[in-house]
Amino acid sequence: MSSLEVRGISKSFGGVKAIDDFSFDVGQHAIVGIIGPNGAGKTTAFNLLTGVYALDAGRVILDGKELTGLPQHEIARAGMGRTFQNIRVFRGLNVLENVMTAADPYSDYNLLDVCFYSSRKRSREQAVRELSRNYLKIVGLEGCEEERPESLPYGLQRKLELARALATNPKVLLLDEPAAGLNPSEVRAFIDLIRTIHSQFEFSIIIIEHRLEVIMSLSSKIFVLNFGKLLASGTPAEIVSNKAVTVAYLGEEDTACSI
Amino acid sequence: MEYLASTLTFTGISLIGVLGAYLVTGLTGLFSFGQAAFLAVGAYVSAILFKNFGLPLPVAAVAAMITGLIAGVIVGVPTVRLRRDYISLVTFGFGEAIIAVLNNSTSITGGATGLSGVPQYTTFPLVLVSVLVCLAIVISYKNSKYGRQCLALRSDELAARSMGINVERLKLMTFLMASVMTSFAGVLFVFYTTYVEPGAFGWVVSAEWTIIVFVGGINSLTGAVVATVLLTGLPEFLRFASEWRIAIYCIIVLLILNFRPSGMFGQYEISLRSIKQLFGKGA
Amino acid sequence: MTIQLLINGISLGSVYALIAVGFALVFNILKFSNFAHGGLMTVTAYIGYVASLFLRNYISDLPLFVATLVAAALGGGVLGLILERVAFRRLRDSNSSVIYYFISSITMGILMENFITIFASSNFYSYPPFLPSAALHFANLSVAIPDLLMLCFSAGALGILLFVLYRTKIGLAIRTTSFDVNTARLMGMDPNAVVATTFFAAGVLGGISGVFLGINYTLYPQLGQLIVKGFVASVIGGLGSISGALIGAVLLGVVEIFLIGLVGAGWAPVFIFVIMLVFLLLRPRGISGVVVQEKA
Repeated sequence: MSSLEVRGISKSFGGVKAIDDFSFDVGQHAIVGIIGPNGAGKTTAFNLLTGVYALDAGRVILDGKELTGLPQHEIARAGMGRTFQNIRVFRGLNVLENVMTAADPYSDYNLLDVCFYSSRKRSREQAVRELSRNYLKIVGLEGCEEERPESLPYGLQRKLELARALATNPKVLLLDEPAAGLNPSEVRAFIDLIRTIHSQFEFSIIIIEHRLEVIMSLSSKIFVLNFGKLLASGTPAEIVSNKAVTVAYLGEEDTACSI
Repeated sequence: MEYLASTLTFTGISLIGVLGAYLVTGLTGLFSFGQAAFLAVGAYVSAILFKNFGLPLPVAAVAAMITGLIAGVIVGVPTVRLRRDYISLVTFGFGEAIIAVLNNSTSITGGATGLSGVPQYTTFPLVLVSVLVCLAIVISYKNSKYGRQCLALRSDELAARSMGINVERLKLMTFLMASVMTSFAGVLFVFYTTYVEPGAFGWVVSAEWTIIVFVGGINSLTGAVVATVLLTGLPEFLRFASEWRIAIYCIIVLLILNFRPSGMFGQYEISLRSIKQLFGKGA
Repeated sequence: MTIQLLINGISLGSVYALIAVGFALVFNILKFSNFAHGGLMTVTAYIGYVASLFLRNYISDLPLFVATLVAAALGGGVLGLILERVAFRRLRDSNSSVIYYFISSITMGILMENFITIFASSNFYSYPPFLPSAALHFANLSVAIPDLLMLCFSAGALGILLFVLYRTKIGLAIRTTSFDVNTARLMGMDPNAVVATTFFAAGVLGGISGVFLGINYTLYPQLGQLIVKGFVASVIGGLGSISGALIGAVLLGVVEIFLIGLVGAGWAPVFIFVIMLVFLLLRPRGISGVVVQEKA
């Protein structure tokens, strides 16, 4: 059984069809990639999966549970974790607290515990704190706990988003252009990090990326979107040799220019 | 000495109101122009139950707080779904509606001429204990999953939802906590001033509390406390030409907004650690 | 009877429309609710009063009315410029979040109201009787001449504003900057000039509104709190839409008159609150407003 089944999702904005009947499956513990030219609808697809946009049509099923039409936070708690293309860390909270907020919805105490300073609150808080520290350690941010997230360099902010997404205890992790803005050595380190995390946990990963080396080296399967429609799907090798994909990215070869 | 106690009492009651504003605006980023309405609810309900129906004070007080909670639900449930700009409008409308109700129910509330003849039961020790309890609760709330999630949704609502945070529920919970707390302040208020009239609970009071939170620094609870003492207590204590009090107040706020927008205290919070640091430096 | 109420409502609505559009202009360009507009209306109403005191020895009736309006309008424009410079310029330069503009505007509004209280006391003042108190009668209906005049002037002012916004270069600059400050800047428009012009225009409208409010409600320091009507009208019409603010204002005026007729002026605020709440729940974007979908 697949981790994630996406059936015929569609979304229009005004008259523009941003996503048109897009279907795909993600197997258990798999890494898949979604690529496509700019404006192809990749982030829109993520937004549809996570409930940021309402589906015009189609269904989303995660581990057998129907996610279609649920509010965003319930989709997140059902196991859909994500990072964002434009980094969205929480200001007003430090790095550790950013990760803690993602683990907080699972923390089990109530308002009375808060008002009466109960030991249950103390122990749960301690647990969340330890858990979050651990996630920060996994992505390589230990030592940065007290920092303000907006003062971190770009690459570290991306790591913070990753740690935060991990803390939501996902079944599927959606990474939206996670390597954007990283230099080549950072990209290589990032690829290793994803491999490590993937082997350590059981969730599947869907990556949107423009950096083909990231997609090629990590994904077992790739889906190509163009103008909101699924253009091709297959293994990295198949996609690379697919003519239609090359045309979509680079355009038709103009014989007049091939001097 | 008598005068000092009375100033401190009044400042303490205001501080509880400001704590409510801190919860709603500082933690959660909602702009409520209606907080003072809960002060009114707490004051009038407890006073009327005590005076006209002979209920003992503690019972009247609890009833007043429950009424505040109910009012909070009526206003809060629709409000938390709205865009940020609308929240100020709706809470303003709520405040005006409450004042209108109070003004027009002359037989029960005394209408625009107000309600008087309430005995003075509020003492400075009572207010001090109340302030400390409310402060303890707010501190615990801030350093809990609730406080963190509120700050998260204040920073980026969409990202917060994507992390599994139930934004509407948190906004409502925080709003209700503030409503109950402010209603309680209303009880203290009426049994201190012995007389209330609807006009004292207008939106300007709510705006003042929000402004105090800003001056102290929206991210700092310590700031809110200090700012309340300075902006409420000091003018009273120094007997400023009272007509200039508000003008000076506004000018201070404008100066801070322009030159130190993060507020007096910025992100700083007094904690055991920071106090140790203070003394550590000296050693 | 109903038609009479309707006429009264539209008349009231035209005054609200002035307020709402002045409010909407600033919302459009800086994306925040400018509560200082209320204080501005109060101050300009008093400016008009002072002007009328000086001039009443030389002119009277309609010319005096117009002179008062002009004085208030100019005063409002200048005050708008000052407001922008003092309360909002630094915030714009340091890219502050919307919350700070909001706080700044509330504070300025309270400050202005307070200045009036200090310098003019809380007494009520009224303008000299420069408008005929007669009314026009036809069929079974009557329209008070002051109301008619105010309707005409409101319509005229708004007409001029719409003309400027949609048919002139500066209007285009204002509309463009309200979409995207940075792109406008790239296209060669000076945002400071555009914002200043907008505040001037809003101030002029505020000045005219102030005088009308002063005529309708007499002059007192809290006059500016009627800015809330402008806010409500903008919300009903759709925040960000000038035409929406117009429609919303007229609707609000009509609804208010009907409500006052039904339940009395005392209870009207309660019903307006309930209606507004229901309206916002059913159609949060207002009548002409745009749904802005946040992108992830």
